[in-house]
Amino acid sequence: MTTRLPAIPGLPPLLACAGLLAAWELAARFFDISGLPPAHEALRELPVILTDPESLLNILASIKRMIVGFAFALAFAIPVGLMMGRSRFTAAFFNPLLMIIYPVPKAALMPVIMLWLGVGDASKTLVIFLGVSLPVIYHAYQGARAVEEKMLWSAAAMGMDARARLMRIVLPAALPEIMVGIRTGLVLALITMVTSEMIARQQGVGDILFNAMAMAQYDTVYATIVIIGILGFVIDAAFELLRGRMVAWAEPVHEIAVGTT
Amino acid sequence: MISIERLSKTFESARGTSHLALSEISLDVAEGQFVSILGPSGCGKSTLLYIVGGFVTPSTGAVGVNGKPVTGPGPDRGPVFQEFALFPWKTVLGNVMYGLVEQGAPKAMAEARARALIEMVHLKGYENFYPKELSGGMKQRVAIARTLAYGPSILLMDEPFGALDAHTRTGMQNELLDIWERDRKTVLFVTHSVEEAVFLSDRVVVLTRSPGRIKTIVDIVLPRPRIRAELLVDRRYQQYVVDIEKLMDNPADVIP
Repeated sequence: MTTRLPAIPGLPPLLACAGLLAAWELAARFFDISGLPPAHEALRELPVILTDPESLLNILASIKRMIVGFAFALAFAIPVGLMMGRSRFTAAFFNPLLMIIYPVPKAALMPVIMLWLGVGDASKTLVIFLGVSLPVIYHAYQGARAVEEKMLWSAAAMGMDARARLMRIVLPAALPEIMVGIRTGLVLALITMVTSEMIARQQGVGDILFNAMAMAQYDTVYATIVIIGILGFVIDAAFELLRGRMVAWAEPVHEIAVGTT
Repeated sequence: MISIERLSKTFESARGTSHLALSEISLDVAEGQFVSILGPSGCGKSTLLYIVGGFVTPSTGAVGVNGKPVTGPGPDRGPVFQEFALFPWKTVLGNVMYGLVEQGAPKAMAEARARALIEMVHLKGYENFYPKELSGGMKQRVAIARTLAYGPSILLMDEPFGALDAHTRTGMQNELLDIWERDRKTVLFVTHSVEEAVFLSDRVVVLTRSPGRIKTIVDIVLPRPRIRAELLVDRRYQQYVVDIEKLMDNPADVIP
């Protein structure tokens, strides 16, 4: 019995990446696009960047800010979202604020934030915090709203008070939805990390990228883009593994057969 | 044990219209009685149950349990819902243990009692299954075991077998009576099935169409234990069903 190619784990994304790299290489060779180096030249720069201690420090500093902003965001957004989902009053209080901040690109808030907090870690971490908070609040809110009333009543009959019900019934019940929100939050953490460094130039992976662009070192520019892409991919894959473990109880029991093989 | 005095409930909708769901319900339920609340759809029978449970507040009137007024939910009145309302992130064992652990019982003792109850509802071997892996009948058995675990003196059952197929339903009715015979708790059982009400209960409270008022209360004098095969051919059982179904045909009239 032959195993179908799409069924081998990890193979489809690898093939997609290989295809993308091949297309990039061919495009750079056959079309004269200024500023687009061939793929192999950009990839050659990868080890150069990754073995340079200063660049590594930059990358690690970026990741550190991302983690700090992300952690604070979760600590704030999950309780707020849950409370909004269960209390009309709390929802009415926070909703207008969120509706104003949500559509604004966080990068556009940077100049204002820089006025208050300077160009260092604080301003960048705050932007990351804002970027992650909003989808997490939204999904925690939706998840909390959808919790079955009868489940809460059952818990109340057992003697659980409102606060206990929020943390030990609403939170686990809403967790699948919250995890979806966190996944979006991770993506936004990465994006706001880079864009905040574009505006508040000091150090970080965004700094490497935009310095290289200013100096027309396009190999480095694209190599940095690849690094950021790999970072995002690894973080997302790791998160999906975690999510699978944590909310296995919510997944459908039978695998849904999708049309084509 | 349960005293309901002139209970009424009006629901206010978001649009400002109000709907009178229950009107002047007065009822006394003695300890150890199995009482069914029977009525057409929308008559307020579930609302009545929820008010006794403390999940919904009445508009007028009072509910008392053993002389003390009902102010909210509590472990003396254990609910079982039609939708099962199990905690999906917990296993069968985790669900059944939950109330006991909540009351501060040591984990080992809670687990032992839970296992005994799981066996009693014929789910031995399924302790580590998650609710999503269970059939409807199994889920309802877990729900019943979970409520029994924390030892309420009153069981409030809201059409618990409504979501089950006919065969499972009659099986569960028998299982429920078996469980009930052990310690004869007070039961308030909401249903819209006349046969189910007569089969299970000592008394059947028949409600009118919305706004729900008590149309009449029928005392069911049939021997216990109730055996389905015997009752189905028993003239008295059949007469009860016929009489009550006739009552249900005129859902608005109140019979004094």
